[in-house]
Amino acid sequence: MRPGRRFEPFEGSPRLVEVARADRRELWTEAVGDPPPVYGERWTEVLGHRYRLFEPGRSKLAAAIVRGWVGDLPAPGERWLYLGAATGTTVSHVADMVGPEGRVYAVERSIRPFARLLTLADRWPNLRPILADARGPLSYASLVPPVDGVYVDIAQVDQLAIAMANASLLASGEGSRLLIALKTASMGRLLSANAHRQSAERTLSASTALVPSVSLEPFHKAHFLIGGRWGRNARLPAPRRERPTTPRGPRRGRRAR
Amino acid sequence: MRPTLVLGNGPCVFVLGPESPRATGPFLLDSDPRHAADRFEAIAPAVLPTRLYGALEGVPPGSRLLAFPPSLARALAEALRRPVDGPTLEELRRGRSALPPLEPTLERRFFLALGHLRLERALRAPEEVLITLAREEERLERSVGREARAAESFLSVPDSPLERHAAEWERARSVLSAHADALRQTLEAEARRQLPNLSAVVGPRVAARLVAAAGSVDALARMPSARIQLLGSRRRPSPERGPRFGVLYRADRLLEVPLGRRGAYARSLAAIAAIAARADASTHRDISAGLVARRDRRIDALRRTRR
Repeated sequence: MRPGRRFEPFEGSPRLVEVARADRRELWTEAVGDPPPVYGERWTEVLGHRYRLFEPGRSKLAAAIVRGWVGDLPAPGERWLYLGAATGTTVSHVADMVGPEGRVYAVERSIRPFARLLTLADRWPNLRPILADARGPLSYASLVPPVDGVYVDIAQVDQLAIAMANASLLASGEGSRLLIALKTASMGRLLSANAHRQSAERTLSASTALVPSVSLEPFHKAHFLIGGRWGRNARLPAPRRERPTTPRGPRRGRRAR
Repeated sequence: MRPTLVLGNGPCVFVLGPESPRATGPFLLDSDPRHAADRFEAIAPAVLPTRLYGALEGVPPGSRLLAFPPSLARALAEALRRPVDGPTLEELRRGRSALPPLEPTLERRFFLALGHLRLERALRAPEEVLITLAREEERLERSVGREARAAESFLSVPDSPLERHAAEWERARSVLSAHADALRQTLEAEARRQLPNLSAVVGPRVAARLVAAAGSVDALARMPSARIQLLGSRRRPSPERGPRFGVLYRADRLLEVPLGRRGAYARSLAAIAAIAARADASTHRDISAGLVARRDRRIDALRRTRR
């Protein structure tokens, strides 16, 4: 780490740290696996701890945090179910956030991304890859124990139904977390992005105590992070202090080293 | 009386009795994670641990016995010769929450073994073999072309290290070309076998590339012809002058069509290819003769109506 930069713990998640830069705040997660780079991201070592840059342009979860998401985030020691894991970009950061004692059960259906996820799981000890279709949670219910949170990143028209079917079967009970990276472009072109978000919130509110959704623009076009705590009577977390955030678009034409 | 519930949990099986809230077990499918993954994928009476049968001996014959996953229920029903039902969702939720966590090393090794097993099985499917071959063939074609172009502009002088390098390079290129040819033949044979109609209409290589671009034969069969026409195109469709071809530009006989009419031909060819793909995906009937005749009629018509 260059002198002058200081890592400060992020209030919402103990294994997430932020670095104040001149024009923005950078998010970094403490790596669980070894060696750190997973997808070519920047990483650094500070006092024996390895941190990986959590870029909002690459990950919808990072974009939501930068855009001021006030809901729950994966916490150390928790078990999370991740639907739509793909090659493991965001999954690796969620695994970092739950730490070595936590578990991330990552479900992916396509075989080529899954092959890379499997390679990642060799290095990330708390990652459990599952080759299965998230539309059928019963097919992996005997693999996944009750989980503390469900993160859904599936660009499909029925992404809400998939999320709710999984949460109702596999979540540990009332109060477990549900986060959905909602891609409204996959839900049809008849409604606007905001109308899709409102419709999704109405559907979810019957079974979930929702926290305010955040738009992931300008990092991810027509995407929102919606969710909260599973269960109609679930209590929401106490609000955190306001953080000044400076949204900034993804850097084009410049690759992370 | 509450039922006895037998739950599979990764490499282990647990028994939840009617009275005790605690689960009995774990009964390991196998101590080797790879064998446990094999057994998990195909649970049968013979692969269930003997200790599990011992634990189930005390279940009264008239009481309800439930098991999950369904393959475990079938295996137990066959082995115990008594009805074994699946639990309701509520019973399943309650049962799962009573299970103890698995030992982390065992769990991790089991998940990795199961992942590799499932991946290997999925990759053995003929359709996946075709897609992998099509992608490799496309990559090799680019490599051969790139090396050939580089060789054309390479300057050398006799009796110099440059000449020795050029000779060795030529040998390497000929090996690469031979490998690319062999791969192309394998791919074409595979495409003709799996996609007889589509191969006849657009050629086996393009048929395989279309399937690779779509992801699967079923996905290709569900696509409208307008998408098939542009599959593989790097430009985005636009109301103005968008792309007219994708992978289809390499289709058989396209180059016989006059330059200004190739867009129109691609449109018609995509419509015929959509029918061929649907026949290959669902009915598996050979309707290639009719489709090829239709394609050839269209080519003749376009050659007559030169713009």
